[in-house]
Amino acid sequence: MGNILTEKKRLFNSLSNKKVDRPPCICPGGMMNMVTKDLIDQLGVEFSEAHHNPNLMADLAELVYKEKCFENYGVPFCMTIESEAFGAKVKFGNNSIEPHVTQYNIDSVADYKSLPKVDYAKKRFAVVLKAIEILKGKETDIPIIGNITGPISTASSIMEPVDFYKELRKKNKLAHEYLEVVTDSLIEFALLQIKAGADVIAISDPSGTGEILGPKFFDEFAVKYINKIIDAVQSEGVPVIVHICGQMKNVYGKVKKLRSEVLSFDSIVNIKEAINNLPNHYIMGNISTYALEFGEKEKIQELTKHCLKQEVDIVSPACGLGMNSPLENIQTILQTVKGGVKNAASEN
Amino acid sequence: MTISKNELLKRMSEGVLEMEEDVVIEAANNYLEAGYPVLEGILEGLVDGMNKASVLYDEEEYFVTDVLLCSDAMYEGLNILRPHLSSDEVDRKKPTGVIGVVHGDTHDIGKNLVKIMLETAGFEMYDLGRDVPLIDFVEKSKEVKADLICLSTLMTTTMSGMETVINLLKEHGIRKDLKVIVGGGPISQKFSDMIGADGYSNNAVEAVKLSKSLLGLV
Repeated sequence: MGNILTEKKRLFNSLSNKKVDRPPCICPGGMMNMVTKDLIDQLGVEFSEAHHNPNLMADLAELVYKEKCFENYGVPFCMTIESEAFGAKVKFGNNSIEPHVTQYNIDSVADYKSLPKVDYAKKRFAVVLKAIEILKGKETDIPIIGNITGPISTASSIMEPVDFYKELRKKNKLAHEYLEVVTDSLIEFALLQIKAGADVIAISDPSGTGEILGPKFFDEFAVKYINKIIDAVQSEGVPVIVHICGQMKNVYGKVKKLRSEVLSFDSIVNIKEAINNLPNHYIMGNISTYALEFGEKEKIQELTKHCLKQEVDIVSPACGLGMNSPLENIQTILQTVKGGVKNAASEN
Repeated sequence: MTISKNELLKRMSEGVLEMEEDVVIEAANNYLEAGYPVLEGILEGLVDGMNKASVLYDEEEYFVTDVLLCSDAMYEGLNILRPHLSSDEVDRKKPTGVIGVVHGDTHDIGKNLVKIMLETAGFEMYDLGRDVPLIDFVEKSKEVKADLICLSTLMTTTMSGMETVINLLKEHGIRKDLKVIVGGGPISQKFSDMIGADGYSNNAVEAVKLSKSLLGLV
């Protein structure tokens, strides 16, 4: 049959208003981590090493697809690469703890000029780029999603977030200068991921929420700098997913201004409300990661069906997966998405 | 010319609410020089302003960045007034809490807000910071004879550490001596019930009400 869509075609169609048989079911990676302990154990590796080894990273990304969890490849599996390159210290965790920043590099936005120059050929940038090349080399029809950490989250991982948030107001001009530097580096990383073979770029900015920043700063900082990245990526012909954490109701008007094709939300967001408020975006979401880790299979089916019923454009978890989420629960999303189509077809 | 007590209280309160550190510092110094009662200055001036800020936060007029700046202004004022409290005012036993972000997570905005709000409400808070080894919650609580432990995480991945803390408290025989409250992005009332915490709150203002009601301070 000529009309069976490949995973890549289905994702691209659903990002360009073209016909799809059903929504794709993806989990981008990055902050939206989709690697769980079950998968890591199956491969018999140490998760902490996968952040340094491109072969392991690619193998894990591939296993996510092979195990019928999601219909994409995605790397990396954390959100510490960019801030580490700017001098933050990172602990790499273990099979149930993700990498996280433990020490900052600067004390104030005013110190941004002392940040090290980022070398994209080195460190974990190179690992991610190589992993994308490996995945690309497999010549499959699986879309490869490259991930970058959002500008606010990166900037507030290089210095103490409390001071950072305060200085958005107190040292407004310097805060903008600092964010320009951070954003330019994120753009560079995104473009290199595209060059290596990424089909889609996802940006997650969990520390840049409307709840923390309020509508004014959300607009002035988060929207401005995320859009700068989006523009650069789109000029390469590559679509963008933006994931925003937290409650949206105060900032729908500002979120509208994000120029990404896709917006992805937290489970706290009412998906119908999001769809109604954001008619110009494709909406991705938002199976509760709490349910995925602690819920029963039936609950996951119910949540997935709800998303399908609300006509989300892409089905995905609402956040990064808890490392201890049972594999069966994760697989249930895709099974339900596929089954949903069958049921609909038999009704015709 | 001396400024009236009420005028200075108002300036301190409004200074906190408007995030004007300099206004607060000047008003607090004037207040002290005029010899007005220190405790009243703290409660009816600085804390009053912070309480108003938390009402605006609750009403979603103020956001996290605003509350952080208000609290900075409040702490500036406290630094000036507090050393002049009389010794019996200082010794007055305050409810004591230990707060921190569980091991594996370094996001601590929510935790910082809760700490600020609880301090404003008169709690003595010991902040263990973020990425806290779980046993530290137990040891600190023993050391300071805590009435309350506040556990926070923003990451689904680290939620299970909260249950471990509760089990450790049982093992060390102090679970019954204190209340445990949990919060943070992925946490819910259901999760709180499941791990046997005493309560859950989904924001910093609620956390204060919850803590007070659990400790019978309302």
